[in-house]
Amino acid sequence: MNFKTIFRQPTFLVGCFALLNVAMYLSIKKFWIGGSSFLPMIGITGTENKFLFAFIVNLGVIAGAMIGAISSREFRLRIPRPVDLPRTILGGILIGIGVTLAPGTCTTSFVSGMEMLSVSSYLSAAGIFIGAYIMFKIIWGGK
Amino acid sequence: MNFPLLCMIGFLFGIGFGYFVQRAGLCFSHGLAEIFIGKGKRICRLFSVIFIITATGFLISGYISPQLGLKPVGELRGAGFYNVLSGIFFGAGILLNGGCVLGTLRQIGEGNLNFVVAFISFIPGMALVVYIIDPLLEHGYNTRNILLSEMMGVDSPWVTGALVLMAVLWLSTILRRKR
Repeated sequence: MNFKTIFRQPTFLVGCFALLNVAMYLSIKKFWIGGSSFLPMIGITGTENKFLFAFIVNLGVIAGAMIGAISSREFRLRIPRPVDLPRTILGGILIGIGVTLAPGTCTTSFVSGMEMLSVSSYLSAAGIFIGAYIMFKIIWGGK
Repeated sequence: MNFPLLCMIGFLFGIGFGYFVQRAGLCFSHGLAEIFIGKGKRICRLFSVIFIITATGFLISGYISPQLGLKPVGELRGAGFYNVLSGIFFGAGILLNGGCVLGTLRQIGEGNLNFVVAFISFIPGMALVVYIIDPLLEHGYNTRNILLSEMMGVDSPWVTGALVLMAVLWLSTILRRKR
């Protein structure tokens, strides 16, 4: 296996992602939070603007993903089909409820919370698993 | 460090996160669906790598600077009931939507406008909780921040060490089966 192949391996790439996560904590003493970072969209910026900071990191994630997609020629503007919109909107509302009912948990659990040994993140991860399984059964049922 | 500079550095880190997430095709929503259909090796391998590196890094950070180290992320609300409940809502939402927070941001960057709609749809859900449910439950929340090691009465390095060791063994089993 040559270097070019290794650099394209998802395992290597998520390793880099994790190293960057640690590097951010070590350098600016902040860790990335996923869910609560959307609260600035309803005017809540958090103590010491921590949610606003996380929201700006999220904007960086969008920019980074765009760079990755363009550089690998995977960028393609896709217009949503009207038939998909109700499902997308309902999913978005459920995510909005989930990320706010217990702030600082949810997807954050898998990237920062569980690694920080945060009990709330372990409980949240268990909830995510249950909720996703219920929805999986509803959508795909016995298929 | 002033806030604009902090945000600029955060944005640059975000670009790095986004680049690696996009190239790796990481999305926990797809990962969970893969687990449910019995093809969860890929997401288990990726999550193990994230866990091993990040948990070790966060633990070591405490020895580098006293300001760092392990800190509770988020709050334990209503003795954990609301954390599980929020997870259930979130888990159902990401499966329905087809993307977790990371996946949504990634797919917006890839040009999928369906996820811009999902992104905007977070607003009514968040507003419902912040402006209606939160004031009603304010006294029932019993907010608390706690670490797993504190709850177990064991030092953090032991707990992190045991979990990382388990993740390494799990990862090596997955990789061996892959070969």
